[in-house]
Amino acid sequence: MSEGGPPDPLARLGERIDKARAERVRRQPAAVNDRSALQQGLGLGFRIGIELVVAVGLATGLGWAIDHWLGTRPWGMIVLFFLGVAAGMLNVYRAVARISTPVGYRRPGEDGVGTRGAKDAWDDDEN
Amino acid sequence: MAIELHPLEQFTIEPLIPIHIGRLDLTYTNSALMMTIAAVLITALTVLATRRAALVPGRWQSIAEMIYEFVADMIDTNIGQGGRQFFPFIFTLFMFILFANLLGMIPFSFTFTSHIIVTFALAALVFILVTAIGIARHGFHFLSLFVPHGVPKVLLLLLVPIELLSYFIRPFTLSIRLFANMLAGHTMLAIFGGFAASVGLFAFFPTAIDILLVGLELLVAVLQAYVFAILTCLYLNEAIHLH
Repeated sequence: MSEGGPPDPLARLGERIDKARAERVRRQPAAVNDRSALQQGLGLGFRIGIELVVAVGLATGLGWAIDHWLGTRPWGMIVLFFLGVAAGMLNVYRAVARISTPVGYRRPGEDGVGTRGAKDAWDDDEN
Repeated sequence: MAIELHPLEQFTIEPLIPIHIGRLDLTYTNSALMMTIAAVLITALTVLATRRAALVPGRWQSIAEMIYEFVADMIDTNIGQGGRQFFPFIFTLFMFILFANLLGMIPFSFTFTSHIIVTFALAALVFILVTAIGIARHGFHFLSLFVPHGVPKVLLLLLVPIELLSYFIRPFTLSIRLFANMLAGHTMLAIFGGFAASVGLFAFFPTAIDILLVGLELLVAVLQAYVFAILTCLYLNEAIHLH
């Protein structure tokens, strides 16, 4: 009540809330991080369990169906089984590695120097 | 109510109001009833709680605002720029699944997310929407999603099918995850409940396990809604920003 007048009590309240919030985060950042980390970990754990199973099962089923239609037994099933395993592992790897933009190999926000340098070096090795 | 002795009996669909239009069977079932209840409750919570919005929120307004901020936060961290326009969609999806799972925890109610056709419909909706947005935003360039960067051309022959497969598998993982978790959890609850009913004097042990399981199931109910929503965010993020 000391500074400013009644005209903008909302703005002042907003300021005070922001300040209090910043203070709280500053005082116990570890606890906040811990909680969000636990939440994310749980979410991740429940996510990846099923990823591999479904990928393998679905791909194998698809292979079987393709064989059934085209009469290419057993090749479709064999090839798609391995593709399914690969796709499932890829999904799990990406979920775990937190490459949250799953398809494609670049990590978000890592288009910077580090990755590009490494990639160029890799390309040079290949050539 | 009769005691359900068969653990899978709780998942039976019962027609309530038969509706047949032409050859379409649009019968109103117990599943549809629970969906209606969920939708009504969500609307009631969000509309009534904020109808008399106060600067200092009351209990109900607080709940509504907390959920709102939770979803908004999730969108900001997972989609970032241009994500807010999908807020209504993700909020609806999250609330619908959350209420479905939680309503299913009430004894003798029905968990419609334990039916794969329901979860698959939701997941297919997400998948189609994400793909459509990706194509609308980027046109042909959207297909670059399936071509990893910096890979020798020969390997692309192998990698592109894998990428395609891992993309088209999404609606299935999304739906099976939710459905399997709900189905397994509720079946387990019913099995231990059946144990308790059949062993007489020793009913204490299965009952104790059941009580613990209810806690676990509540966690799973909330977590699965969260996982579904966050994966939708991640998929949308990818379609919008491409890499």
